[in-house]
Amino acid sequence: MSDDFEKRTQEVLEESTARLDGRTRSRLTQARHAALAELARPERHWWRSYVPAGAAAAVAVLAVVIWSGQGVGPAPTALSPVDDLELLADAESQEFVDDGEDLEFYEWAAGETES
Amino acid sequence: MTAFVTLAGVYSTPVFNGERSRDQDLMTTSRALDQFLSSVEKRAFKIAQLGLRNDDDALDAVQDSMMKLVQSYASRAAEEWRPLFYRILANRIRDMQRRRTVRGRIMAWLPVRDAEDEEDFDPVAQAPSHDPGPAKRLELDEAIGVLEAAVAELPPRQQQAFLLRNFEGLDVGETASAMGCSEGSVKTHYFRALESLRARLGEVF
Repeated sequence: MSDDFEKRTQEVLEESTARLDGRTRSRLTQARHAALAELARPERHWWRSYVPAGAAAAVAVLAVVIWSGQGVGPAPTALSPVDDLELLADAESQEFVDDGEDLEFYEWAAGETES
Repeated sequence: MTAFVTLAGVYSTPVFNGERSRDQDLMTTSRALDQFLSSVEKRAFKIAQLGLRNDDDALDAVQDSMMKLVQSYASRAAEEWRPLFYRILANRIRDMQRRRTVRGRIMAWLPVRDAEDEEDFDPVAQAPSHDPGPAKRLELDEAIGVLEAAVAELPPRQQQAFLLRNFEGLDVGETASAMGCSEGSVKTHYFRALESLRARLGEVF
């Protein structure tokens, strides 16, 4: 991005953003704090209080031993954000819709990912 | 016997050491997320405002997106947060636009309106934003008005590509990730957006 027009539009948008009123800024701060509070919610970590650290490690080792013994296939490769099925299923991506892709497939795929 | 001793050693490990380490991880992630979200919140609001043409809806879209990122993707590497967040925001904006379309396409053409004042007086909230001086402000007012009107009227994908590349500063790869399309599509949408804006604003800018 190098030409004057692009630079000018960027400057103008930055100026517009800098002019956000105090009320909007305050609400954005509140939104951020509410989101961060989700991270620390006790419900997200309820199981930790019941599982001693060593027992958790032992259970994990046993689970891997039993699981690999059932001949489960190789672990899936890490998904990039674009490949993330939850995002795709949630997105109802306009490009996919416009191309006639079946949204039910993505919903099923998202369900498979969660299970 | 060796295994039994090992297990006994394991079970005798104090629980709070593990919990303290997890709490420290949580604090580290929380601080990093706080820093990230505060770096994007204003621009995210501006992007949502241009897409939805309504301040309240834009604030809702940003809050929902922050919540979704924290709930579902906090454990991802920090360098993934930016394209992920803007992907979530784009989806949210699109969902809200579609609901609005169902209620009536005419709503999209109303001028941007400020949120109703429903809250008690808050001196911080009422604090004025910075003022560059009357003459300069007038010039900027006009530029902001015409540019925002032009960007708001771009087709959604061109608007997205333009705002993410030009305004948010994502590179082509990150923009493709955020938009859920190929890098070629990003370049095409961005080029078309620039051409439209140049045609409309060339004399003003």
